[in-house]
Parts: sequence; structure tokens; C-alpha cells
Amino acid sequence: MTAIPQKTSQALANRSIGSRLSGLLTQESVLALALVIISFAVTIVNPNFLAARNISDILSNSSYIAIAAIGMSLVIISGNIDISIGSLIGLLATIAGRLAIGAEAGGYPEIFAFIIPIVVGVASGALIGFFVAYLHVPAIVVSLGMLSVLKGGLILWTGGEWIYNLPEWFKFAQQRPLGIPAPVYLMISLTIIGAIWMKYSATGRAIYAVGGNREAARLSGISEKRIIMTVFMINGFMVSIAALLFATQFNAIQSTVPSGLELLVITSAVVGGVSILGGTGTVIGSTLGAVLVHVIPAAMIFASISDYWRQAVQGLLILFTVLVDLYRRNQQSYARRK
Amino acid sequence: MQAVKEQPEQQKSRFSETRLGRSLLSQETILLIITIIAITFLATQNERFLTLRNLSREVVLLFEVAVMAMPMTLIIITGGIDLSVGSIFGLSAVVLGFLWQDAGWALEVAIVASLIVGLMCGFLNGIFIVRLGVPPLIMTLATLALFRGMALGVSEARSARGFPEWFTDGIGRGDFLGLPLQVWIIGIAVVVTGVVLARTTFGRSLYAMGNNELAARFAGIPVQRYKLVIYVYSGFMASLAAILFTARVTTTRSDMGTGYELDVIAAVVLGGTSIFGGLGTIWGTVLGLILIQVLKNGLLLAGVRGDATSVLIGIVLILAILINNFIQTRFRSV
Amino acid sequence: MDVLLKLSDISKSFPGVRALSDVQLEVRKGEVHALLGENGAGKSTLIKIISGVHKPDKGEVRLDGKLVSFNSPRDAQANGIATIYQELILYPELTVAENIFIGHAPRRSLGPLHWVNWREMNDRAAEILQSLNIHDLDVRRKVGSLNIGNRQRVEIAKALSINARILIMDEPTAALTEADVSKLFDIVRLLRQRGVSIIYISHRLNEVFELADRVTVLRDGQYIDTQAVSATTERELVTKMVGRTIDNLFPKLPPKIGEPVLQVRDLVHLPFTRGVSFEVRAGEIVGLSGLVGSGRSELAQVIFGIMPAQSGDIFVSGKKVRIQDPAQAINLGIAYVPEDRGTQGLVKQMVIRENVSLAVLQSLASSGFIRRGRERSLAERAIEQLSIRAYSPEQIVGKLSGGNQQKVVVSKWLASKPRLLIMDEPTRGVDVGAKSEIHRLMSELAVEQGLAILMISSELPEIMGMSDRILVVRDGRIVAEYARADVTQEKIAAAMMGGQPKFENANPQEVSRTS
Repeated sequence: MTAIPQKTSQALANRSIGSRLSGLLTQESVLALALVIISFAVTIVNPNFLAARNISDILSNSSYIAIAAIGMSLVIISGNIDISIGSLIGLLATIAGRLAIGAEAGGYPEIFAFIIPIVVGVASGALIGFFVAYLHVPAIVVSLGMLSVLKGGLILWTGGEWIYNLPEWFKFAQQRPLGIPAPVYLMISLTIIGAIWMKYSATGRAIYAVGGNREAARLSGISEKRIIMTVFMINGFMVSIAALLFATQFNAIQSTVPSGLELLVITSAVVGGVSILGGTGTVIGSTLGAVLVHVIPAAMIFASISDYWRQAVQGLLILFTVLVDLYRRNQQSYARRK
Repeated sequence: MQAVKEQPEQQKSRFSETRLGRSLLSQETILLIITIIAITFLATQNERFLTLRNLSREVVLLFEVAVMAMPMTLIIITGGIDLSVGSIFGLSAVVLGFLWQDAGWALEVAIVASLIVGLMCGFLNGIFIVRLGVPPLIMTLATLALFRGMALGVSEARSARGFPEWFTDGIGRGDFLGLPLQVWIIGIAVVVTGVVLARTTFGRSLYAMGNNELAARFAGIPVQRYKLVIYVYSGFMASLAAILFTARVTTTRSDMGTGYELDVIAAVVLGGTSIFGGLGTIWGTVLGLILIQVLKNGLLLAGVRGDATSVLIGIVLILAILINNFIQTRFRSV
Repeated sequence: MDVLLKLSDISKSFPGVRALSDVQLEVRKGEVHALLGENGAGKSTLIKIISGVHKPDKGEVRLDGKLVSFNSPRDAQANGIATIYQELILYPELTVAENIFIGHAPRRSLGPLHWVNWREMNDRAAEILQSLNIHDLDVRRKVGSLNIGNRQRVEIAKALSINARILIMDEPTAALTEADVSKLFDIVRLLRQRGVSIIYISHRLNEVFELADRVTVLRDGQYIDTQAVSATTERELVTKMVGRTIDNLFPKLPPKIGEPVLQVRDLVHLPFTRGVSFEVRAGEIVGLSGLVGSGRSELAQVIFGIMPAQSGDIFVSGKKVRIQDPAQAINLGIAYVPEDRGTQGLVKQMVIRENVSLAVLQSLASSGFIRRGRERSLAERAIEQLSIRAYSPEQIVGKLSGGNQQKVVVSKWLASKPRLLIMDEPTRGVDVGAKSEIHRLMSELAVEQGLAILMISSELPEIMGMSDRILVVRDGRIVAEYARADVTQEKIAAAMMGGQPKFENANPQEVSRTS
């Protein structure tokens, strides 16, 4: 029988060599490269950029975003999204602060100020997961609704008041064991644990499967509902850790959360190689993405570019990464058709 | 010979399959009933509630959300979404303020420019979604940040104020034949959008696209062009709303419009438009808007503070989808 | 030889359609057993029953002599039955090894913790590939970057990883290159030697004769026969597959053929259409036959503007045209009744009236407003003209039977008053009654209204019964042309499957084809 002529099959073979090369150019290595280049460029303009204090500040500031991004990457890899985490962070931070003050006044152990927010965070994640997995409400809508419920709830509760007089033991994030800020330790350890778990555990692989090819995952006997619940609960956990870092970093806790926090986290994940179409991405990538996302505004400041454009740059960054991702996918499926 | 059998075709169809059945069992009807009950309740609490004056005031309060809900209904019917409307709103307002106050342009020209900004923002959304295939969710999430960031950048957190009277009083608080200008504008928008959706080839095409975009393409419907149109419409309405809002509150702020997308989507979905596309009416959206406003009123009566409304809207949104899902699986599954 | 799998008296129906009646199948250990039959004969339903996707309404399934009943694909897999479908079920972002071991990756554990043992997985995956004589595939590559031949091999390896005793392959060579096909055959032979049984579904008779030990033929959901391959011939098998059902199903009026309505020269849209030239005349029904994957639907979509031609010319009624999108095609009088009416032809959630008017909305409207009266009478006429069984135009299309749904699609396109009607598998999944009605309609349209009809069909009786001229497509090219009077089933089947010399031109004066 006739078949595709030899020339075409030759071209197909060559294409696979090309894709082998592009395999080396992973998202993670590109990110690391980008970080290096940007730091370099800014240092030329303003040498103070590379000062140790500055670097540790950038890393410290990006820590809570990076940790939240770990949870977000899992959510996105599984094919969903969560835009309520900003409000959740605000709420949990306030809970932590109030509990800390209460514990200081006596009445209950100090550890509550850390544990209760985590429990609430995981519960919130479970709630979202429930709506998505069992009631078939799209994640975007659930989290949109959750976002406003939490935000409104927070304002109602705090009445706009900031929380001061935080006890000293509470200001965990300000510690610097061995000169490195505590948040950075957390960021690195959670990233490593997350990366290992995603790569080596059955659940981790199942998350990729559900996000990559839902139908196939079902046929392979993977319980989609359980995976989605797990993913949102882990996200809740990560967000609560991030909230604790957020709360313990300064001497006061705001009554509102800086706007666009969820977008910052999503940007970190997407820049880090997590595809919004689901099914791919890594935890290490999203952490690198979080750092990059913080390096850019810092670089802007050092290079004397107005900070008001920060959010605009973020939006562009997301767009750019998404386009690259779509392009990559298009190329792949075209190669497949031949 | 073919050994296949055919099911008897002359089976009694269920009531739910007829046209009358579908409209009666729809979310819109349920909504109508609830709204009537709720309004009646409010009327008993406040004898002046049902006066024209009071009702007009209510309409003015929901004006911005209502205006943006018109194109949003169309977008969600086609299975898309536009999260950036709040940011387009803010950007348009800021541009208006900037051009008039800082760049010294004539206010009329600045208004036109601001509308053009809205059109262009919508066009940007549309082009990326249609030509480059970026999922609407992500695109408008990104532009939500992009446009808001631009608003911050352009205004640098300064406000514009001191607009001329013809703008703030004539337009912002102006009347026409006894009703506020906003009532007229939203009335026209509702009628036009509603008629287009229900009766024109364009509207029919949108429903087809929302249900089965591939089949619509195969039937020769210019899917890409139509999608572009609705996103541009969305941008335009957002800036229109922003201009009138600015006229009413006489100042611009870079955070204007923040969170509006939630209210708009909630109203649309509450009104029976399915988030998955293919279903929905302007009439339903109007009911959704009214009901949310009524609920807000109710909260006010109960002495709850204004911020609680966002809690309410969030819950309403999720409940609306649940109800919608339920109705769809029970009565409309194919 | 031992019998490994035995299906007895299997029947299965779906709403409106009886897919299988009293079908038998017996597969022995270590045999390659081919399953033959036309589209709609029931082959897919049968293998879905074997692989646990469906349960039979009647009949029994015995594995190793024991009665079994599968509730899910997982059950079947646990019993050593693996299926490789045409649409491969793989995860493009995961590696080869991971896809092979999906759902049952080798683990290591320490107390309550388990984790995936990547090294063991990669090693075992490589071992499996080696055992299949596949030496050039790196198990750490992402499946998304592989070509179709390699992906199929990953699927085969996947089956081996669960120690499959029965491997079902559904049209495995449809999309493969020659080199890949011969590699596949080597693998199949290797597996047979190891005692694995293979149920092999293919339209390509030469493959059946090359690989299979025995062959079972199904037709219209019924079991026809099982033979040793060595004891039968191609001709015999084709006759069994196709039957002698022609005449009364294909009411055909004497044709009145006029001027060419469509002429196509060297049309190219890679990789599906590789240089096609032909013409269709008014009043003529041209049948386009070929195997699944030969590129017929794609050709139609090129002409209709869904995938605009990359090169080549199209002439409509003698005028050269460029067709860049369906709207242009419709304006030129071309209509396309698509292959998959569910996803391409109908909006199932809408009512009959709305579907019928979908392609002609502009003409039913004045200044953009749809005239309800006009629309309604269009729908009523359609229901009457095609005898659509519905009680009103307001019935939701999704609730109609397959035959009636198809009629709605056809009436949608007739409403556009086409000069050329392309019908892609016009009676697929349609019951007998509706089938003959649609055929009668086609003939009337051609003869009485002078419509040019291009009919794509995988059913040989339909092709032979309805066409005035028959074109055979293979790998994106037209390889044969026959006039109605000179054609036989065997000639077509042979040309489709490539067993005969390439150019069989019954009428030398006809438009030339490209090679």
C-alpha cells in the first residue's frame, strides 16, 4: 500500500531531534537565565541592586507569594483556577493577629494563633473543592464568589481597623536565623517538598493526568473528585502558610489585602511554566517565577521606573507567557497531525 | 437487509420540551416570582418605595452594573467571559480625567477619547481571544491587571475634579422628561440589546455559537467576527458607564470600578444565563439586576452595613449557578 | 488450540438502533483473529463489550471457559484485556515510561509513605520496548513530541505492562507510514509467538491476509461467518461483508446530466489532500469512496472552505473562485452535510425550526430581523418534504432519532438552495426507513432539480446503488474512477485497499486525475 513518502517521514524524524534540543531549554532554565540577565542589567544601571541586604529582601518578600504559588500551580495543573486567595490571605492574617493578641492576654496557648488559620485555610479550600468536584460549579465562578464573600466578611469583621500591638513572639517572619530571613527557609523547604511530592507520589502524578487528559484519567480509574478535593485543600494549606508569613512580617496587620494578590500568584505560576490549559508545570518553576515576578518591580525601582506601572507589567507578563505556551502547544499538535 | 429497528416516533413529548414549557420552567420565571415577592415586601416596609422618584433613584444606583451587564450577557451566552470590565471602567475614567485636567483637552473631546479607549480595550481582548486563541478567562484576567495597571500609571493616583456644571449637573444629575438621564440610557440599552439578541440573525448566531461553535462555523456563521463585536461592545459599555459615573460623582479615582465584574457576572448568571453558554436572555439579566438591588435594599433595611453586600453578591453568584445547573440537568438535558 | 475468549449470542441495542444481534466470536490463545465488516456492522460495539465499556443486553462472555461480566474498562484490564483505539489515549505532557505505567506505576514504600520509583519505571519500560524490538525510543521523552507510529508503540507497550493476554487493535494502520506498518506487523508476530491473542480490526484485506490466522465477518450487527484465512479469498470476504442488499434500498431515477457545476484542479491542503482533480455535473451523483482516513471528508471541507485550499483551483459553473470560509461557499451555492451530525451538523439544544434556518438566517431576515413567519413556514415545509417524524417544528432536535436528525441537517442545507450538495456519510447511523427516504430524495434532487451531488460514503452498496460515477480516494488522491455501468464491488474495494494496479479508467475521455 502507499504510505506517506519517505521524505516526509524523514522530516518527521528531524522534527523529533529538534524537540530533543528544545527539551533542554526547559521553562526552569529559561527562568533562571532571565533572572540572571535582569539582575545583571539592573546592576549596571544601579550597583546597589546586588547588595546582600537587597537580595535577601527580595527573596523574603517573594516568599509568601512563592508558597501560595505552590498551591496555585497544583490547582492550575489540575485544570482549575482559584482567584479568591488574596481575600483568604487577608482573612487568615487577621485571624492570626487577633488570636495572637488574645493568646498574649492569656486564655489559650500561643500555638493557636498559628494552627487555627491553617485549619480555616484548609477548610476553605475543601469548600471550594466540594463545589467544583461534586456540584460541578466551574472553579472560576466558585472562587469569584468566594473572593467577595471573604473580602466583605473581612471588612465587616475588622471594620477597617488595622491590628497593632502584636506580641514579639508572633513576628516570626522577621527572624533571621544565620542571617537568612525565616520566610526564605520556608519557601525553599516547601518548594522542595512540593516538587518531590509532585514527581514521586501517585497523587501528584494523578494531578497531572487529570489536568492533561480528563477523559483518559477517568478511563484509567483515577478518581477525579478526590484529586480535585486534594488539590484545593493543599492550596488552602499553602495559602494559610503564606498568610502567616504575611501576618508576621510587619508590626501591624492591614485590614485589607493589597489588591491583585491572586493575580501575582497566578502570574508566578504561569511564568514558572504552569500552563493554564492544565497538565503541565513544576513547583520549582513556579517558585522561580515568583522570584522573577518580584525581581522585576524591584529592578524597576532601582532603575528609577515609576512603580505605578507595576500591575501593567504583570498583566503583560502573563499575556506573554500564555502566548508562548499556546504557541508551543500549537507546534506540538501540528507535528502530531503529520 | 438491515437489521435495525426504529423507536416509535409518535411519542408524547414531555411538556418540558415544548416552547411554552421551556419558558415556564425556566429560571426567568422563578426569578420573576421571587422578585415580585421581594418588591412587595419592600413596598410594605416603605410606603414611598414604589414611587417613580424612588424607583428612578434605584435605577441610577445600579446603572453602571446594568450597562455593563448588557454585553456581558451576550459574551456569557457564547461561552466566554470578560473579567476586565471593571478595569476598563477605571481606565476610561482615569483617561477622561487625565486628558481634561492634565492635558487640557476640551471635555467633549476627552469624553470621545475615553469612549475610544473603551473600544480599544475591548478590541484588544477580542483580537487575542479570536485570532490567537487565548482562552477568554485568562485573557481578561490578564487585561484586568493590565488595564488597572495602566489606570494607575496614567493617573499616578491623582484624582481629577472640578468638572464643568454642564457635565456634573447636566449629565450626571440631569433629567429628561422627568426621569434621570441614566434611566433613559439604560432603558435604550436594554431594549436594543434585548431585541438584537432575541430577534436578529446576530442574536440567533450567538446562541448557536454558545451551544455548538463548530456547527455554527459549519453553517457559515462568521464566528470570529461576531465574537470580536461582543468584546468591543463590552469595552464600549464599560467606558460609557465610567463617563456617566464620573459625571455623577464629579471626580475620578484610579480604583474606580474595582470589583464591578463580580456584580455584573452575578446579575447575568442570576438572570438565568448559563455560565457554560447557549442559554440566557436580556430580560433575565434585567430581573437579576433588579433582584440584586432589591436584596441590597433589604440588607440596608435590616441595618447591615454597605460592605456586607459583597458577601451577599458572592453567595448569590454561587447559589445562582447551582440553581441553574439543577434546572438544566433536570429539564433541559439533551 | 485452546479457546481463550468466547462470546455467545451477544446482542446489544442503543436507542433507535440495534447494534448487535446474536453475535458469536471465539478467540484462541496465540492467534491473530481479524474482525471484518463495514462501518456500522457492529465491530466497535463488539470490542467495547469485550473491553468493558458496554455490557451486552443478552448473551455471555467467557474467559478461559469461565463466565465473566465486566463493569468497567478497569475490570477488563484486570483480566488481561487491553485495547488500542484509533484515538490513542495518552497524556502528551507525561513521558513514555509514565504513560506505559499510568495507573500502576512501580512504587517504593517506607512504612505508610509510598512514592513512585522512577528508576524502576524507566528500566521496566525500556525492557518492554526492547522485548518488542523497539530500540530507538527514549522512555524519558514526552509523548506529545512523538509521531503517531511511536505513540502507537507506547500504547502497545502499555498493554504489555499489564500482561495483556488479549490485545484488541482498532484500525491500527489507518494513520501509519509504510515503515511503521511493517514494524507493527513484526510486533504483532512477536506477540503471537509469545502466546498473546490479538483481535485485529481493519478494512485492509491485504493486512488480514498477511497477518491473521482466522477472520470473523459481521454485517449489519449480525454474525456472518468465521473462517481460517488460508481457507478463503478476498473476493469471498468482500461478498460476505457487503451482502447483496442493493436494489430496493437505492431507488434511482434515470439521470439527466448537464454541465459541470464544480470543477476542481490540483487541489492541495496538506497533509490530507494531495493534488485532487475532478468534476461534478448538474443532475449527477458522484460517489466518493475510500477507507477511513483516506481524506475524503477533508477534501469536502477544503471545497467548502473550512480548510481553504493551499493551492489548486476551484471552478463553480465555469467561473474560477476562491473559497476562504463556509459563508463564501454557501453564497456560491455549495452546501456540505457533514459527517458528524452531532458535533458539526446540528445544534442539539435548539429546536427543529432553529436548526433548519441556521445556514440561511440572512435570507429569512429583513434588516437583520428574523421573520418568524418565514422561518416557521420553512421549517414546516422541511418537515413535510422530508417526512421528518416530529409533531411540531418546536421540538428539540436532540430528542429526535438518528434518521430524523439527519433529515433536519439535510433540510437545513436544502434551504440554502444549493447547486452542489456535498453529503458526507448521508445515512450513517440511520435506520432502514429513513435511509431509503434520503436516497429517494437525493435522486429526486439530482434528476428533477438538477442538483449536483457529491456523496461520500463508506458503504459500498450505497456507493454502487446511488452513484452515476464513482471516484476512489486513497491517501488524499483520487486513484480510480468508474462509471456506474462498469463497476463492481471488488474493483472498488481493491482500489480502496491498494491491492490492484492504480489507475482503472473505465472512461478515458473523463477528466484526468493526478497521481
